[in-house]
Amino acid sequence: MSRDRASARLFSAIVNSSDDAIVGESLDGMITSWNPAAEGMYGYAAAEIIGRPATVLCAPCGEGEGRETLARIGRGEHVPHYETYRRRKDGTDFPASVTVSPIRDEAGRLIGASSITRDVTEQAHARTAAEVLHRADDLRRANGSLESFTYSVSHDLRAPLRAMSGFSTALLEEYGDVLGEDGRGYAGRIVAASEHMAALIDNLLRLSRLSRTEMHLDPVDLGAESAQIAAELQDADPGRLTRFTIQRPVQVQADRALMRMVMHNLLGNAWKFTSGRDDALIEFGTTPAGDAPVCYYVRDNGAGFDPAYSHKLFSPFQRLHAASEFPGTGIGLAIVQLIVERHGGRVWAEGAVGSGATFYFTLDEEEST
Amino acid sequence: MTSRPILLVEDNPDDVALTLRALKKNNILNPISVATDGAEALKILFDADHADPTGPGLILLDLKLPKVDGLEVLHRIRGDERTKLVPVVVLTSSKLEEDILSSYRNGANAYVRKPVNFAEFAEAIKTVGLFWLLLNEPVPD
Repeated sequence: MSRDRASARLFSAIVNSSDDAIVGESLDGMITSWNPAAEGMYGYAAAEIIGRPATVLCAPCGEGEGRETLARIGRGEHVPHYETYRRRKDGTDFPASVTVSPIRDEAGRLIGASSITRDVTEQAHARTAAEVLHRADDLRRANGSLESFTYSVSHDLRAPLRAMSGFSTALLEEYGDVLGEDGRGYAGRIVAASEHMAALIDNLLRLSRLSRTEMHLDPVDLGAESAQIAAELQDADPGRLTRFTIQRPVQVQADRALMRMVMHNLLGNAWKFTSGRDDALIEFGTTPAGDAPVCYYVRDNGAGFDPAYSHKLFSPFQRLHAASEFPGTGIGLAIVQLIVERHGGRVWAEGAVGSGATFYFTLDEEEST
Repeated sequence: MTSRPILLVEDNPDDVALTLRALKKNNILNPISVATDGAEALKILFDADHADPTGPGLILLDLKLPKVDGLEVLHRIRGDERTKLVPVVVLTSSKLEEDILSSYRNGANAYVRKPVNFAEFAEAIKTVGLFWLLLNEPVPD
């Protein structure tokens, strides 16, 4: 008897001094014992938790698991230790490693289960850090091959184009009279097409470089930038009558060179697609948006687009207008999207054929500045 | 105009033909030798049996070359007494910052990106040729 008492005391000392939460529960899933480590880990005192269902300790994603484990124990199965999530009194969850074993009475009948729970937050962090390092390594490798891809694109793809343009020009200059009018027209098309492809390649390179350049955030007045771009557009084509309405100032925290590229593309598009109108109107301004603190827009009353294809607008090389009608390489809006997303924002468009287009974008949706 | 020869180092036969045509169209009539890889360029410059005794007045150098690449050729040119002062214009398709930087670091006098459009290409060749062979005062013999 005294040996039993001694071993009970020893057992109780082990349970009380353990760093792991040791929790007993009855067959119907009620908590029957609670050690000091459990109190530290979950935040409940023994008095307030004993008698309550053990499921209060389960995070939603681990719910049901407690009951199932108990059922398996009841059937006499061995349950290996497993990892799950547990919920503290304050509602926060933590990753946990859990071992469950049966409790039997002197006759060997199952009367409950005890679970030993270890908080594995630190191990989980270490694992995440290792994964991040591994991912960074992958990225570095991918970037390396992108670098050599970029090189061959910029160097090797241009050489044949130069030959096409060069020798077609040679044909035109030296054999133009033999070729006849049609022949000269065909040679001219080869020259134009090779130049167009050279422009595509350059834009593709710009896009790939954009996704890798470092950003420097500074205060930028999008209104002032827009006004300057509008003036440049007007200067390049002084014969055109176009009204610009530009809200100023519109202060943002962003990379100046990149935002200038965004405004240049959006205003340049608006300029291009209103070229057929005498009453062309291009606006830049801000408007309240649903979930973002503020939303910026560029609106025009030009050719517009079919909203059925609006999802294609931002894909590289997608064009919704014939090149003969509105020239372009189809990369501008892909660049806009890339830059806006790098600033933590979104871009979308509204429009209809013949009644203009509006491009909206947000910046830094996470931070409400 | 100095009549010292031009050395064109270029592996792409199309680019060789276009460059020769552009020079001719612009009445730049200096003798021209063509090396189609880096090793041949070094042979023309430094090998006693092949080397032109006067040496070139201008070297037009592509960067991406078989065997010995353009930067290595440039390095060797600058490292040799006989050629270290010869004007070298890098003439390439690449406009990668690294290429531009390493060309200048290795002592290139100029870096010109070959335009795709022939009219622009011819204009570039003309400008380079006229500047280095006519306007620029060469190193005294």
